[in-house]
Amino acid sequence: MIEVIDLVKHYRASDGSVVRAVDGVSLAVAPGEMVGLLGGNGAGKTTTLRVLATLLKPTSGTASVGGCDVLADPLGARRHLGYVSATTGVPDRLTAREIMRSYGRLHGLDEEPLSRRIDLLVQSLGLADFIDRPTGRLSSGQRQRISLARALVHDPPALVLDEPTNALDVVGARDLLHLLDGLRADGRAILLSTHRLHEIEHRCDRFVIIDGGRLVAQGTLPEILGPYASLEEAFFAALAVGAAS
Amino acid sequence: MTATDAIHADASFRTAVLSPTLAVMSFQLGRLLSRQRLLLAGLGVLFPAAVMLAVRRTVAEGLDRDLAVTMIYALVPEAVCMLGLLVTMCPAVADELERGTWIHIAVRPGGRRALLVGTYLAAVIWTSAVAILAACLAVLVARVPRPLPLIGILAVLVVLSTLGRAALFALPAVILPKRALVASVAVALVVEYLAGFIPAVINQATVSLRLRSLLVEWMGWRQKLPVEMQMLIDPQPAWVHIVAVFGLAAVLLVVAVKILDFRQFPPSVEL
Repeated sequence: MIEVIDLVKHYRASDGSVVRAVDGVSLAVAPGEMVGLLGGNGAGKTTTLRVLATLLKPTSGTASVGGCDVLADPLGARRHLGYVSATTGVPDRLTAREIMRSYGRLHGLDEEPLSRRIDLLVQSLGLADFIDRPTGRLSSGQRQRISLARALVHDPPALVLDEPTNALDVVGARDLLHLLDGLRADGRAILLSTHRLHEIEHRCDRFVIIDGGRLVAQGTLPEILGPYASLEEAFFAALAVGAAS
Repeated sequence: MTATDAIHADASFRTAVLSPTLAVMSFQLGRLLSRQRLLLAGLGVLFPAAVMLAVRRTVAEGLDRDLAVTMIYALVPEAVCMLGLLVTMCPAVADELERGTWIHIAVRPGGRRALLVGTYLAAVIWTSAVAILAACLAVLVARVPRPLPLIGILAVLVVLSTLGRAALFALPAVILPKRALVASVAVALVVEYLAGFIPAVINQATVSLRLRSLLVEWMGWRQKLPVEMQMLIDPQPAWVHIVAVFGLAAVLLVVAVKILDFRQFPPSVEL
């Protein structure tokens, strides 16, 4: 459902030098699978996710969502993708219902199916208590739930989340991750980047660790853990091996 | 069949272009109905009338019709429209580009062009409504004889002014989103009020030349105009000016949409 092959993304920085933000990363996420994309600041996680979201064009390599290449068929890729960012980007003055309605119409959904879809999301994401309140008065956790609802309004089979729990407290983060469990159970492919390793250690089916734009480890939890007791230890070990090579 | 499949199967003009554009337009119009923007609209409506009232009171023998029309033209299709578009068009696009909301629109099919065109339409509707109300009030306050035909002329000039200049302001908004307002003011001054008054080929690409020429044509002023002022208008028929404004707006919008299509949004942490 989500596939990245030998992805390379270079930028030209303001001083003229070339920044190799992503350098040959490959990964895949199947339907019904949740994959954790791990790495430090500047590792290339957000760049990888933004290429998948068609916000950036790859320098070389390919990326596709739902079988649609992000360069050859960006509209197709966008139709199959839901995107959630750390900064929710939820307009303060609008209510969750108004936001979902606007974004549903951006996808060309008609009134009747859109209303049905919104009702379904209100129920499944627990938005009923604040659906008609301006989002500026809501908590970070409630705003992130609305952001997730906005990403799901067109019922995409793939979901990309860029550090979605960053601004959330422990309770908000747990609630959001529970929702993601449900979405995975529905058969959606989920690619999730985060710094909070403990939150996803026993939640993701597989992990991809990148550092300096390069892939340094990839596998299931037992494969990543190896001799280490926790994902955090394994993560730092993988970074050390990556840096040495 | 999921909603995604249904949309895929029905990728008509309505679902792919019209519906997203109207969604952004109603979203932006909703934002323009905030208390601050409505207060601004009220000021825009009252300002020309206040100026005309002050002028009328200082002229004991009554305001000359041609002078009154010239003043209302300068105040409404020029000043109110320019200021209205400066507070609606460029900050709206730039806000979306610079804040998190833009990303969530850009990841939708046709989201980028819907953002630009929808915002453009909202700016045109909001500014035209304010400016037409301002024109009506100013004409009534100035007690211009035969007000109805004049209001009709001013309304057409207002709509042409907003259509052309909103498209002009779309360019700085997409090229320099962080400095959109400053860049738009510079564009207004340099393009509309400097190049527009240079009697050469360059002024053909400005909205101000077209509006002035239409005003002169429709008010029947061509014969009365002093020779030195003749250089500041284009004697072509009215339809040419109207087509030119629509053509200019279309070209500017297409260029702005193309720039948005090619624009990339790198995460700042990696730069």
